[in-house]
Amino acid sequence: MVGPIYIIAISLGTAFSLGFFKKANRNISFGLMFFAMAFVTFISGQWLYAFLSHQQETIQIFTAGFKPPFSISLQMGFHEAVFLTMINVLGLLSAIYLFDHLKEKGANMMMVFMLLFMGLNVVVMTRDIFNLFVFLEISSITLVGLIILEKKQDAISSGFKYLIASGIISQILLIGIIAAYYYGGSLFINDMVDSNLLFVKGGSVAVFLILIAVVLELKPFPANGWALDVYQSATPGIGAIVSGAVATTSLFILYKLLPIGGDAWLLPIGITGVISFLGSNFLGINQKNANRILGYSSIGQVGLLMIIMSLSKDLGDKFEFVFFSILISHYLAKAGLFWISGIINKDEIGQWNIIKNKPGLIVLTGVFMLTLLGLPPFPSFYGKWELIMNLAHSGNFTWIAIILLGSFFEAIYLLRWFGKTLMNNENSEELIVKFHKIFPAVISSFLILMFSFLTARWSGLMSVKYFIPFAIALLLFALDFLPVFIKNIMAIATVSWYSYVLIYQTYIPENDILRIIFGFIFLIGAILLLFPGFTFKGKRRGFYPLVILMFSGLAGLIEARTTFQFFFAWEMMTLASYLLIIRGKNAKKTSFSYILFSMAGAFMMFIGFGLAYFETGSISLNALADVLIYANWVYILVAVGFLVKIASLGVHIWLPDSYTEADDDVTPMISSILVKSGVFGLIILMLSMSLKNAASSNIPYILGWIGALSALIGNMLAIYQEDVKKLVAYSSIGIMGYILFGLSMMSHLGWLTAISYSIVHFLYKALLFLAVAGIIYRTKTRNIYEMGGLIKRMPLSFISVLIGIITLAGMPPLVGFAGKWMFYNAVILKGWYFQGAIVFFSGIVAFLYCFKLIHNIFLGPIKDNHRKLKETSVWWLIPQFVLIIGIMIISVYPKIILEPIGLYLSMYFPGEGLVWAGTTASTSLGYWDATQIMMVFAGMFGVIFIILFLMSRKVQVVEQFNIVFQAERPERPETTHYAHNMYAPYNKALGFLAAPFITNSWEFIYESFHAIGDQIRKFYTGNGQTYALHIVMYVVAFYLFINGGF
Amino acid sequence: MMEKLNIQNIGLTVGILVILVGLWGLLTQKNLIKIVIGFALFDTGTHILMVSIGYIKYRTAPILDEAVDIRNAAKLVVDPIPQALVLTAIVIGLGITALMLSYVLKMYQNKKSLEINNYKDLKW
Amino acid sequence: MVKNAFIFLILIGVAMILVNLFAGFTGNVDLGQIANHYVANGPAEVGSANIVTAVVVTYRGFDTLGEVTILFLSAAIVGFFLKIENTDNTERNLKYTSEILNTASQVLVPIMILFGVYVFINGHLSPGGGFQGGAIIASGLVLMFIAQPKKEIGHKLINIIESISGVGFVLMGLAGVLFAGGFLDNNVIGLGKFGTLFSAGAIPIIYIFVGLKVGSELTGIALSLKENQNEA
Repeated sequence: MVGPIYIIAISLGTAFSLGFFKKANRNISFGLMFFAMAFVTFISGQWLYAFLSHQQETIQIFTAGFKPPFSISLQMGFHEAVFLTMINVLGLLSAIYLFDHLKEKGANMMMVFMLLFMGLNVVVMTRDIFNLFVFLEISSITLVGLIILEKKQDAISSGFKYLIASGIISQILLIGIIAAYYYGGSLFINDMVDSNLLFVKGGSVAVFLILIAVVLELKPFPANGWALDVYQSATPGIGAIVSGAVATTSLFILYKLLPIGGDAWLLPIGITGVISFLGSNFLGINQKNANRILGYSSIGQVGLLMIIMSLSKDLGDKFEFVFFSILISHYLAKAGLFWISGIINKDEIGQWNIIKNKPGLIVLTGVFMLTLLGLPPFPSFYGKWELIMNLAHSGNFTWIAIILLGSFFEAIYLLRWFGKTLMNNENSEELIVKFHKIFPAVISSFLILMFSFLTARWSGLMSVKYFIPFAIALLLFALDFLPVFIKNIMAIATVSWYSYVLIYQTYIPENDILRIIFGFIFLIGAILLLFPGFTFKGKRRGFYPLVILMFSGLAGLIEARTTFQFFFAWEMMTLASYLLIIRGKNAKKTSFSYILFSMAGAFMMFIGFGLAYFETGSISLNALADVLIYANWVYILVAVGFLVKIASLGVHIWLPDSYTEADDDVTPMISSILVKSGVFGLIILMLSMSLKNAASSNIPYILGWIGALSALIGNMLAIYQEDVKKLVAYSSIGIMGYILFGLSMMSHLGWLTAISYSIVHFLYKALLFLAVAGIIYRTKTRNIYEMGGLIKRMPLSFISVLIGIITLAGMPPLVGFAGKWMFYNAVILKGWYFQGAIVFFSGIVAFLYCFKLIHNIFLGPIKDNHRKLKETSVWWLIPQFVLIIGIMIISVYPKIILEPIGLYLSMYFPGEGLVWAGTTASTSLGYWDATQIMMVFAGMFGVIFIILFLMSRKVQVVEQFNIVFQAERPERPETTHYAHNMYAPYNKALGFLAAPFITNSWEFIYESFHAIGDQIRKFYTGNGQTYALHIVMYVVAFYLFINGGF
Repeated sequence: MMEKLNIQNIGLTVGILVILVGLWGLLTQKNLIKIVIGFALFDTGTHILMVSIGYIKYRTAPILDEAVDIRNAAKLVVDPIPQALVLTAIVIGLGITALMLSYVLKMYQNKKSLEINNYKDLKW
Repeated sequence: MVKNAFIFLILIGVAMILVNLFAGFTGNVDLGQIANHYVANGPAEVGSANIVTAVVVTYRGFDTLGEVTILFLSAAIVGFFLKIENTDNTERNLKYTSEILNTASQVLVPIMILFGVYVFINGHLSPGGGFQGGAIIASGLVLMFIAQPKKEIGHKLINIIESISGVGFVLMGLAGVLFAGGFLDNNVIGLGKFGTLFSAGAIPIIYIFVGLKVGSELTGIALSLKENQNEA
């Protein structure tokens, strides 16, 4: 193997000899430099391989032929090899990225560039503290040189600020080193660790100075204005190096020198990390400059890694896994984002929508941002999971809360930014992407995917089969050039195969009725709802991979047996649905609130799972039932995540707009299928509650109230909507409220109602949205006032909507009535009369909007431009009629679903259920026979239909337009609809219930965040001297903090 | 009292004072050149500290010529390590000061101002 | 004013930290273990009469390589940064220097360069070495720049000297890996007779390289600054 000393010899030799080529061909110089850097990368990679593949032992390299402490020694161990490889790979990629810059500037800059990486390499390897100081100086000088790669005015002044700041820091380090030499007698780091420096008067101050200098090198908030200016003003290729290589190296220095300070230093380092992590991410929310945001985020991530380092004792043998998975994710993703920022070359994130027409760049940006956020399947997800769980195991919940809060801040600005890149772009400016600029980012994203797989394997939490969906999604992504028709077939085939495997092969043999039901809803539903995809023209880029990910996420929820698998699937499903929603034309803002609420909910769930792990020591889902001491906390925290998904009152504000603005065939998917993931989660959670301590807990009672109020408010809001999709969306909030209410009764009948409602809601909500989407597909409008009289043009859609609303409103003879009947039985048996009354009242409200839906769209006069309208496409109708058949079957024979569910539930709720006699179901309060009712209704309907048919000859047809103002152009188009504003009187009476005070209060919180952040960041004055003062103040404050005085 | 007044302690005191004077200049002067001078003083103060630490009373430079008996050298010379370190540190300080000055020069050429308050283009 | 008072308070804090840092300082009475090793075994192991040189070039030679690199980098960055991009822009307005300076420089410059060479060649025997010698050479050249502002010296020559000496230093270091105990081991050509000019192994060679390198780098920095000068 090539010895590590050649890393230095080759770099230096090449850099020095570049002087010969100064005036000669710059290609030769660049070629030499690149070759040397490639060879250096090869050396470090080869050592890494040796450490990974066989038991290579850590080696020491002695310079000058003497052993330390008499001479300077270098060390090559596993950690060194990892860091060196990271640094050198980044160097190589950066060289490619900066190719035209370096070539333009000539050999001088190439030397500087090369020696930066040489310096970092030595800093990682050296075991002599003064040598570390020297090479640290090399890296800061080279960095200062690279900042002025583009001689912009602000880059020059930020370079000066950097010089002053790093000058002060290195002087502090130097004073510390010399004093440590005096007190400890050695500059060899191993000797310093072993010596009793800390116990000598003055020695501990020397250690303080050394470590504070290292901390300052990590650019801790708030003594980091100089670093932020560098991030902002240097060309982004340099930002990538600072954040990827220099910050990484500084972390390694801290890792190397921290043992000198001993355990007493762990907590201060952790607190420094916390301040950096929370502070930078909080201030990042307010930033608009892309590179500066990346700077904030970089400092925040370093803060997180400092926290992890300080908690190494608590993480035990998982420390390396956590640290490296988060470090590598950060390193690759941040460098990638800097590179993309350089390609886009726009300061403001608002201008990033220039990449709107470059799907490749959007995907890269997405991959990098989601990696930073620690979402599955990216490596940081596993790291974060292990971090939180191991912290939970040792009871460090303060740390957990801090880490998740900071991550949430980071999510806010990264996701807002991501939304902005997808904004519609009126500007027709063409973006030129050079190959050498995009190549490093592509490599980096490939490395991320590779590490995703590797970390998943190393984590030991995942079996290979979890990668099948990703493989399929990647395959679909690779086949994105195919027309939509073929991809749709592929997607349907995939989901069908999935459902066959899952439902038929796994759950039916296990007779696990709950999972069979939800498997049906998630997967058979998916197949049905993919059919309208055939009506889409063009490519629908990116749609199918996301659909597959979303549905496999849902399937993963059912499959999950551990909290990890559940959380993984949950996050994957959330992420994919977010990306699906954001594809909608005007969905950027609303998808942002969707993902923020979802992430906040997911973090709560995360803490909940952690708490359960803390108490039970197991990550099995069943172990949730064993939680006793912290039961209330666990249940509340986990439930919040689910409540967000079912959009309960208070956290519902994301839902209406998201449903409305998503693509027309995505809306049925999320509204009828995706929300059920929340229901499924609640069922899983509350089943485990039921086993032990539901009775003693107040949570079901509170949830019951939330459910009842959600039902009321959701329905109230629905009746005033003029946007047909929004109307149906609000009704979802209402129905989810019912289901929540049913579950929270914690009784046999309540659950029976809730679960059957879930099935029924799936059927009719999919039906309604499909019908509505089919209508929109033809009318090209979502506004109810622009519709009307469509019954003659679209009779089949009319039937769908009719069936849908009858079911929704709970009218006999359809199955909705069965639900209602059981519901009242359950309420009465439970004794929740007041809440029951609210729910009952909201049922009446539901009737109002149902009526509006059918009355205003299908009845009355038709609009002029709709006279030639055809019935909607058959692809919209097929799933509708399959769903109608489903509704009909369970309306006639509700027993086929109710009886097995009842049997299943009696395991958990032995209380009173339905008693079946033939087709008659009875409780102590009464009985009901769906089949009989259906027959009676069919008979009555037949009779009335014949009478009406006979009378129809006498009907006088009203002429078109006779109610519209003659020759008058109305001021508002709404008024041309014959039934516009039909519920105005109700609005007068009860409109206060629909006031948007919840939306307003959330917006107030969001705005306050901004205002506070705006004030705090004022201390970054831009004055280099002030930044120098910040550093000195930081040192003094830190000293006071550690020693409690002078 | 006189005990304390040996060369090392004087060196240390002077070093600390020079460091503080340098820092004061660095943090309060508004002229860029004066800021660089402040930094250079800070640097020099550190070097004084380094040399003072290596000094041993009544001993000579660690050069083994006629003045020093080679067999008994360890009892006659001062510590060579801080001297070697200070040499390195001086050169590094020189390089950084040169860089700072060239930045100041460029800044001045661009904006015709040496006032640090005029260089606040980047903030927040 | 309030701000300055605040800074004063902060500096009192810094002073307290530094005072605490040396609270345990009693002054050395004897050499530490490592220094003792250098002084006692240095002559035998390295062969340099000047122990500081032994430490600088051999024991801690790797630091010195870094140090040279730093100077090299400063020179490269300053050279890049201050490169005159549009030379034909303005006629530089340079005054003639006084007769005294002119005449004196003609006498002094060669002597200074010679002295510089002496200092770095004797670095292993007497106080001095590559850095000091290089700095003296550079001072001589700076004196020349001041005396004859119109005299043009190309960067090219400086660069080539810099590159040759830099590569030479690295190659000497590598020779240590190949023929002796490790990178920068000076024991590659035999230590020679202690106390003579041709002793201490590779140290004089390395110091020649260092001297030339430092001299050319410092001259380069001065040259770049000079070229940026508009009024003198």
